[in-house]
Amino acid sequence: MLAKLALQSLLDRKGSAMLSLLAMTVSVFVLLAVEHIRHQTKDNFSNTVSGVDLIVGARTGNINLLLYSVFRIGSPTNNIRWQTYENITSNKLVKWAIPISLGDSHKGYRVLGTTQDYFEYFSYGKKNRLEFDQGHQFDQLFDVVLGAEVANKLGYSLGDKVALAHGIATTSFSMHDDRPFTVVGILAATGTPVDQTLHVSLKGIEAIHIDWQHGVKVANTELTQSDLEKVDLQPKSITAFMLGLSSKMATFQVQRSINEYASEPVVAILPGVALSELWRMIGVLENTLLLVSILVFIAACLGVSSMLLASIRERRHEIQLLRIIGSPPYFLFLLIELEALLITLLGCLLGATLLMACLASLQGYLVAEYGIYIASNILTKHSGYLLMSIIMASIVVAIIPSLSGYRKARES
Amino acid sequence: MAIELADIRFHYPSRAEHTVLNVPSWSLKTGTQAFVYGPSGGGKSTLLGLLSGLLSPNSGQVRVLGQCLDTLSNRQRDQFRAANIGYVFQQFNLMPYLNAIDNVLLATQFSQSNNRGGKENEVKVLFNALNIPENEWQIPCRDLSVGQQQRVAIARALINKPKLLIADEPTSSLDQANSDAFMKLLMPMAADNNMTLLFVSHDHSLSSYFTSVESLGDFNQVEGINNAS
Ligand SMILES: Nc1ncnc2c1ncn2[C@@H]1O[C@H](COP(=O)(O)OP(=O)(O)OP(=O)(O)O)[C@@H](O)[C@H]1O
Ligand SMILES: [Mg+2]
Repeated sequence: MLAKLALQSLLDRKGSAMLSLLAMTVSVFVLLAVEHIRHQTKDNFSNTVSGVDLIVGARTGNINLLLYSVFRIGSPTNNIRWQTYENITSNKLVKWAIPISLGDSHKGYRVLGTTQDYFEYFSYGKKNRLEFDQGHQFDQLFDVVLGAEVANKLGYSLGDKVALAHGIATTSFSMHDDRPFTVVGILAATGTPVDQTLHVSLKGIEAIHIDWQHGVKVANTELTQSDLEKVDLQPKSITAFMLGLSSKMATFQVQRSINEYASEPVVAILPGVALSELWRMIGVLENTLLLVSILVFIAACLGVSSMLLASIRERRHEIQLLRIIGSPPYFLFLLIELEALLITLLGCLLGATLLMACLASLQGYLVAEYGIYIASNILTKHSGYLLMSIIMASIVVAIIPSLSGYRKARES
Repeated sequence: MAIELADIRFHYPSRAEHTVLNVPSWSLKTGTQAFVYGPSGGGKSTLLGLLSGLLSPNSGQVRVLGQCLDTLSNRQRDQFRAANIGYVFQQFNLMPYLNAIDNVLLATQFSQSNNRGGKENEVKVLFNALNIPENEWQIPCRDLSVGQQQRVAIARALINKPKLLIADEPTSSLDQANSDAFMKLLMPMAADNNMTLLFVSHDHSLSSYFTSVESLGDFNQVEGINNAS
């Protein structure tokens, strides 16, 4: 009966109840969305690289090294000598090493020069290896393996020819178009920056830079494939490299020895540590967003409460009547709490449904356009807790009108 | 005795200088159908407030159905009221957004007996006895005519089979014909259920329906107020 009374009384005040419900729905939507995306991006983010024990590059800030080696953001300050790479990886604690060479691009997507070990050892997420959607890894000089998004967005398929550009600007005029690459493999989507990368061999990178000095084409010798194979294409420098160690325990020891490497200033970072450092910087923004959405929610709670508070004056006769037929004053308290709770529950239901519908319909677009994967299932433990706190908070805020109803009931 | 008042003095807390009731002694025998009249502002509704336990006298004793109200806790008083006293007022008898059946059932919510299935049948029996057409049972009470609303109010007051029925000018918002119809339904119902009926009004013309007729001024001795009607 209490529930029926609460529901009917809300229905009786459709106009104001609807507006309160709308405000509650919007605020629940925003709060859930921010919290969901926060956790999703954090997951995605910390999933960009896994199983790599150390990343080594020219001495620079930790985050800078992480940004250009893993996220392909920004550019390296300096390269490191091939000799350094060989010296460091000769350490017997090093199980595997992936050299990477950055600096070229194709239509805005970065080109990564590496070795076949990349496909063997690089992993992301919960130690997932890279998998081929089509084709295989590069083995010829001018073979290229495309990330899922590159192939998808640019419409490439196996066998297509791709000309790389020097530098990383989208509209670079200095094209390496005299030596095009052939697509031999397309990777399955990973939801990481790998999807936005073109992978070629280190030798391929060397080959297209013959005749180039300091970023400018200085000669135009017509070299054929067989000519090139005769040239020594051993790279003289690379951008960075990733290391897998034979024992996790050795990580700090190896890191120290690299950081003390005398003949060239290099630095080794632990990807997990650098990721969380980077996350902390981004986290400030996220926390601000969360704070704003909490404030929006509190405003909605206050809206519901003020609507109920205003209704108490109109309901003077109803309250008196309830008292006459024997209802104790706390019944009024419960009634008004229940009305607030009904609005909140309905708002949670609508907000969550709306969010799931939005995510489900935007999912394809986000993956295609930005390579961001956000799960549409928001029914996680986190959002469960969040919904619970939403309900608790609304109950607490509704104490104000409920108490007023209780007092009115006692007076009558 | 259904009602016994002794040495009652009452003023509203907001107006301490204005004594509304001063009743040295007054009682009502069980089973009487009593009519108490008095002018507007004479304190009739206040008296009924004391009997229901919603108001407490500043001094003196209120006994209803043998129960001394000031020895009860607030909670017990609410339960006592729910179980033993039925009310009909001039207006605002019903929750406007609930239908007739739910309005009557709401009154069963707070009394001890809480057998819903059986109660719903009793409501229907009452509605039939009170000439409330079946097609009006399910619509919000605000959409009923005033006469129908007052009849639903009788059903509401009777559903818990109270021993005391209190009516506070229930007919003053009705026209003559409706008012007569109302009285002709109410009186036998109270008699059939062996209820004590206390009916207050400023309208002396209704007194013909009652066995006992009293003026409030006869037992309420407040000085300075016009005690005759
Ligand atoms: N809540 C209140 N606070 C203060 N004074 C009140 C309150 N209710 C009634 N009074 C005063 O108490 C006196 C008696 O009021 P009461 O309502 O009992 O009269 P009544 O006999 O029922 O009149 P009517 O026939 O118009 O209903 C009046 O002078 C009124 O001004
Ligand atoms: Mg009155």
